[in-house]
Amino acid sequence: MAQRIALHPILGVPEKGRPVKFTFDGKTLEGYEGEPIAVALKANGVMVHRYTKKGHQPRGIFCAIGRCTDCVMVVDGEPNIRTCITPLKEGMKVETQYGVSPLPFEEQGCPSGKKGDGDETV
Amino acid sequence: MKRYDLIVVGAGPSGLSAAVEAAKRGMRVVVFDENEKPGGQLFKQIHKFFGSKEHKARIRGFRIGQQLLKEASDVGVTVILSATVIGMYQDKELVVRIGDEIHHVKGDSILIATGASENMVPFEGWTLPGVIGAGAAQTMINLHGILPGKRVLMLGTGNVGLVVSFQLLQCGCEMAALVDAAPKIGGYGVHASKLARTGVPFYLSHTIKKVEGTDHVTGVTIAQVDSKYQFIPGTEKHFDVDTVCVAVGLSPMSQLLKMAGCKMVDDPKKGGQVPVCDERGQTSIPGVFAAGDVAGIEEASSAMIEGRMAGVAAAEYLGFMEEAACSREEDELTKDLDCLRQGMFAPKNKGKKIDKTEEGIPLSNTLLTKGYLADDEVEAFPGFTHRVGVHPVIECTQNIPCNPCQDVCPKECISIGDNLTALPVVVENAACIDCGMCVASCSGQAIFLVDEDKGDGTAEVTIPYEFLPLPEKGTEGYALGRDGRKLCPATVSRVRTAKAFDSTNLLSMRVPREFAMKARFFKSGNAADAAGEVAG
Repeated sequence: MAQRIALHPILGVPEKGRPVKFTFDGKTLEGYEGEPIAVALKANGVMVHRYTKKGHQPRGIFCAIGRCTDCVMVVDGEPNIRTCITPLKEGMKVETQYGVSPLPFEEQGCPSGKKGDGDETV
Repeated sequence: MKRYDLIVVGAGPSGLSAAVEAAKRGMRVVVFDENEKPGGQLFKQIHKFFGSKEHKARIRGFRIGQQLLKEASDVGVTVILSATVIGMYQDKELVVRIGDEIHHVKGDSILIATGASENMVPFEGWTLPGVIGAGAAQTMINLHGILPGKRVLMLGTGNVGLVVSFQLLQCGCEMAALVDAAPKIGGYGVHASKLARTGVPFYLSHTIKKVEGTDHVTGVTIAQVDSKYQFIPGTEKHFDVDTVCVAVGLSPMSQLLKMAGCKMVDDPKKGGQVPVCDERGQTSIPGVFAAGDVAGIEEASSAMIEGRMAGVAAAEYLGFMEEAACSREEDELTKDLDCLRQGMFAPKNKGKKIDKTEEGIPLSNTLLTKGYLADDEVEAFPGFTHRVGVHPVIECTQNIPCNPCQDVCPKECISIGDNLTALPVVVENAACIDCGMCVASCSGQAIFLVDEDKGDGTAEVTIPYEFLPLPEKGTEGYALGRDGRKLCPATVSRVRTAKAFDSTNLLSMRVPREFAMKARFFKSGNAADAAGEVAG
């Protein structure tokens, strides 16, 4: 599980908002208000943010500055939210994104991904 | 439609610097930035900058960012955040998305200071969660206080790869290796040496063959490449890592300029497609300027000067400034910028084969391939001196424009002279008072204070130390050589911290005399093991 930095030799104690609860795929997790959703997930050991539509390949944080769209998830029902630059709020509902849906591929009626064709973004 | 004297796109070092200069001259300036916070990448830069006083040398990047923001707010610069400029059209009209709204704005002059984006190289497994950009690692650790992983392999040995690797070490990650397909380390030798002396291995002429894992990274295999960058069979090496960081260069984000019809050019020395600019940063469209990485990849110090130049030029273009006053300012700024663009790593020398310093000393080949100076190579450099009593030993061996060591020494022991890229020399008969300012101020952490003979068979070596936990006086451990190998038992004799040192602690250790000129890092632990390893 990823570690939060408690004390940094140059930066000291990282500034954080108040602790808030949010859900990830139905599980209640804790993070700090205002930090990127992706950081709160990382702190809870979540690596996979989504699976690609065609190849069903896993994707997670890649650029962490909102450019690459690899880390998009379904947040409060809305897909394609860039979690690396979207601040965490109390009670947020964060879901793994399958293609562009929070429903696993089996429930979308497309159980098997085409392997080796995993470079599409959403 | 709102109208401004100057619209700046990008609130990074160059954009903010330009906005400050323009606002100072009475211009109505707005800065748009797509991020939530201003400062660009400056707030992720926690190392001390190179250069001279005029370039804010020896100040850490994030502090320069804080100064710049204050300066901007003092002169009334408006920065609009979470505002993405999505188009630039005829007659200097911009389209900006702010939240869910699209706004049209018009500038009588425009500065594009959008910076750069990271390059990527594809390899098997490169899309797996756990493969990240070096910028992502820096964002996670320095902005959000979270480690990207426990054990990291870095691909790329340019300054970004080197600096981010050191930052990862500083916050507690383990660095498995630094890997580069090129035969030589691309960034500053001093940055590489900071890593090598802690024991991080470098693999040059190697690249990633495969990243392993099913839904996240569990390991990586690298292999050697030949001069045509083809894998050499049988040279594979495997590392158990949970994170692979990619630092393979930057490309200018010049799309807006191209869209607006500015004349563009492909310039590999500048990192890709850049606008054709005159010396003040004006593009082929009068009144449209470019500054910072978007005009050619360099670093933050030169971006800030370019920004100031563009701000001044925009003021003159719109008549907010007399031509004479403007050219005086420009001459000053040009001088500062020229200073920074000297030395082995200057943009003009990119890709050039250099094997001697300006002083005619052969460059250390070990430094370029393994990240450290071999014991027999370091003796040739003018900062590496033997004296009676405590004295600075400067292991600065490449011509980089930088001189804080000369500036901070109260006894004028260190001399660089007027040529900023000259290697530092320890002055003959220098009366070093062991204040430690040179050690703490060297942005490359390449200066050590050494007393080669304490009279009891030991020597004292003082090193810069920016890790936690900070060992206490009396801590037993072992010294490591420049190559990161265990050398000999060592005891911490002093630990100094001071505001003037700016978070660089000075750790002094006692080592057997014969290791005075070799011991360059300290690790706590069982000294007997160290001795055993040396003997073995």
